[in-house]
Amino acid sequence: MIVTHELRKTFPGQRKLFRPAGPATHAVDGLSLSIPPGAVTGLLGLNGAGKTTTIKVLATLLRPTSGSVTVDGLDVVGHARAIRRRINLIAGGERMVYARLTGRENLWYFGQLYDVPRAVLAKRIDELLELVGLTDAAGTVVERYSRGMRQRLSIARGLINAPAYLLLDEPTLGLDAPIARDLRAVVANLARDGVGVLLTSHYLAEVEQLCGHVYVVDRGRLVAEGSPTALTAGTRLPHTVELTLAEHAPAVSAAVAALGAEFEVGVDAEERPTFVLRSPEDLTGELATAVVRAGGAIVRLEVNPPTLEDAILAMAGAPAAVAAR
Amino acid sequence: MRAALRVFAAEGLKQHRRIFGSKLVVFSMLLWPVLTLATTYYTVLPVTSAPGAAQRWPLVAEPGRLLAFLAAGALAYTFFFSLVQSAWHFSWERVSGTLEAMFLTPASRMALVLANGSSALVQNAWLFGCFGLAAAVATGTLHLAHPGMLGIAALALLVPAVAWGAFLNSLLMFSRDSAFLYTLLDDPLWFIAGVRLPLFALPVWIKAIGLAFPLTTSLVVLRGALLDGKDTADLAGQLAFLAGLSAVLLGLTALLLRVGERHAQRTGSLQLF
Amino acid sequence: MATALPTLRRNWLVTMRAYQWTYFVGTLATGILTVGLAYLAYHAIGGGRAGGGFAAAAGTADYLGYVTVGAAASMFTVRMVLWVAKAQITEQREGTLESQVLAPARRLPYLVGVGLQALTTTVVEVVVMLTFAIMIGVRLPAPDPLTLLAAFVAASVAVFGISVPLSAVMISVGEAHITQNTLFVAMGLLCGFTFPPAYLPDPLRWLGEALPVTSALRALRAATLEHAPLSIAAPDLLLCLALGLAYLVVGLRLLGPAERIAIQRGGSA
Repeated sequence: MIVTHELRKTFPGQRKLFRPAGPATHAVDGLSLSIPPGAVTGLLGLNGAGKTTTIKVLATLLRPTSGSVTVDGLDVVGHARAIRRRINLIAGGERMVYARLTGRENLWYFGQLYDVPRAVLAKRIDELLELVGLTDAAGTVVERYSRGMRQRLSIARGLINAPAYLLLDEPTLGLDAPIARDLRAVVANLARDGVGVLLTSHYLAEVEQLCGHVYVVDRGRLVAEGSPTALTAGTRLPHTVELTLAEHAPAVSAAVAALGAEFEVGVDAEERPTFVLRSPEDLTGELATAVVRAGGAIVRLEVNPPTLEDAILAMAGAPAAVAAR
Repeated sequence: MRAALRVFAAEGLKQHRRIFGSKLVVFSMLLWPVLTLATTYYTVLPVTSAPGAAQRWPLVAEPGRLLAFLAAGALAYTFFFSLVQSAWHFSWERVSGTLEAMFLTPASRMALVLANGSSALVQNAWLFGCFGLAAAVATGTLHLAHPGMLGIAALALLVPAVAWGAFLNSLLMFSRDSAFLYTLLDDPLWFIAGVRLPLFALPVWIKAIGLAFPLTTSLVVLRGALLDGKDTADLAGQLAFLAGLSAVLLGLTALLLRVGERHAQRTGSLQLF
Repeated sequence: MATALPTLRRNWLVTMRAYQWTYFVGTLATGILTVGLAYLAYHAIGGGRAGGGFAAAAGTADYLGYVTVGAAASMFTVRMVLWVAKAQITEQREGTLESQVLAPARRLPYLVGVGLQALTTTVVEVVVMLTFAIMIGVRLPAPDPLTLLAAFVAASVAVFGISVPLSAVMISVGEAHITQNTLFVAMGLLCGFTFPPAYLPDPLRWLGEALPVTSALRALRAATLEHAPLSIAAPDLLLCLALGLAYLVVGLRLLGPAERIAIQRGGSA
């Protein structure tokens, strides 16, 4: 388990010659979280929330200013080397691979640096290349790879040491949709195999899909945590149901009003009546029943529950921490 | 130890691909040093034929020996400068993101800079080294006290060069402007180290600065061992000095790596100065 | 002139805002250290004299003056070539080559603009180097002003001339470092910057003569070390100009195809 307790990371102000130092930046301000093995944990927030800084502290690239960070009981400061053996980081983008080496050579290079046992390394390289779909391009130098291919290789690099904990910092950023989908499947499988995954992403749909537990941070502080469903429910955002009828039915408006929720009436491009209902609970069933009983013929029904994205936006700037379990 | 050796193997491949990735590399490895050597020879030729020159510098009496003297300088310079180049490339890794990928791994930072330097050295300088040695044998200018001195000369060149390369790597890893250091170590290096001139021709203050660079003393040993038939006893002082200087450079490297990485972990910036 | 002056102005602004100190220091160091090397060798080994063969081969007994003029010319050549030859590969690397090719402006005025700006900064740098030489005790006699001016113009044409085909080579192969350094190292041996080309075997001497910089150097030395009048330096001046213009014409012809190759290769060098 990765555990942080009251983690703080402050960057000193820019020091300039003959001028006083600029103000310090409190990137992470008292963050306590835990990343268990065998699960995908999400870390969400607005830009500048301190997500990347947190990930870099866990990856031992940054030192905490105060607070404790342990990986399976080992402190990140005192046992950095041991921790580096069991974690890895995949950041979105195509950096972290060598242009002059081939795909296979890149993986071999990092395998050497991670001291992956020789007996295991060759086989693992083949498996990873297959996993990211680069088997055919394995012998080509990376400078001839497309951007997507470099990103996929970067992902393979992040798995070369078969880490017990995988830190993903916006891993699908800029990836084509099919590749992003494949990566999400890989991440889900890794968690099933016992790897502890921390995921930060701007694609909230992906977080919703993958994460069992999510931490929401804003300006370096924890503002909410819980499962995606609980977080969404906790903010009491409305469900929206849109309904289109085949033709006008006089009793329908009254039936919809009787549900007691806020609604709007309109017409679509073909002059058919539409109803848009907003309520804290999901009233799809009740609405459909009420409309049919009132004699309405439904031609289109669209349900839009509040998403995690709606929840995050609602939480943004909220002063008090909201813990929903 | 075994893990460190794997780092050496990894860096060896990386250097190999970097250096030999382009076929044009034979220009910088062989053509340029040879042409520059010829230019230097012709440049100093006029003064070496001046009246009384042979009394001031005996070896100018034989053109072959003068050429051998300059060739040895060119060879040693090529060795040491190849490390400046590889350190400059190494500093590029910070920009491209691969330095961070290296720091993520448990690999020893010292092993990384040592491996980077020594792989570059071997792969860059072997061609000119072989060429130089072959030329020395062919022209009969090679004068060894005994065959073992060839090994001593090689060690006196390689060990300080690797230490210097490791030091440069760690220096350039954490500095903002690597191009400036590169410039500083290009022409000034051959000047103060006595690559193209005998040391007696340099003013004292330049010689003093030159001592801080292992190239200077390595060259004294190289020329003494290969061209003047000197043995270990004759060169004991220089060899001891080189050993000490190499140890100092390695110590500074270890310090820079520790301070630099700690600074990076504290401020998020790999730039120390 | 419609292209040349705006180009000059643009490059001036870029230079003033982000002066490439590293290049400047590097080339200045080369010039100063070449003179320094000659100075120390002259005194410590030569005892303040040069060997008998030198005066015959060089046309002057002034070894230090000879090397100093050569070092200044070398610095001038390197800096000018770096500016002009790399102008287009720089555009290519910054991604502006395509837009430049799309614009209706012709290439020569653009390069003249680059060259004029480079000339001004290079002259300043050479003066700095010469000041150093004088400070360490190199005696430079008063030059014949007319011949010096003519030699300077001829040298500028010569260097500009060889930069253009070099630029074409650079953008078509997408590489600058190896190309330019090979030229500099070759010119260092063949053109007589630091020693009389008469020392070289004949085939290399003829090769050197094919470069306009060689005759430009003879003219410059005639003007500075021998105080020669224009009539004496005229043959070298004319040879230099003719060769420089020939290289320029060839280079301009090659630029079009080179740009097409570069754009087809796509991406940056």
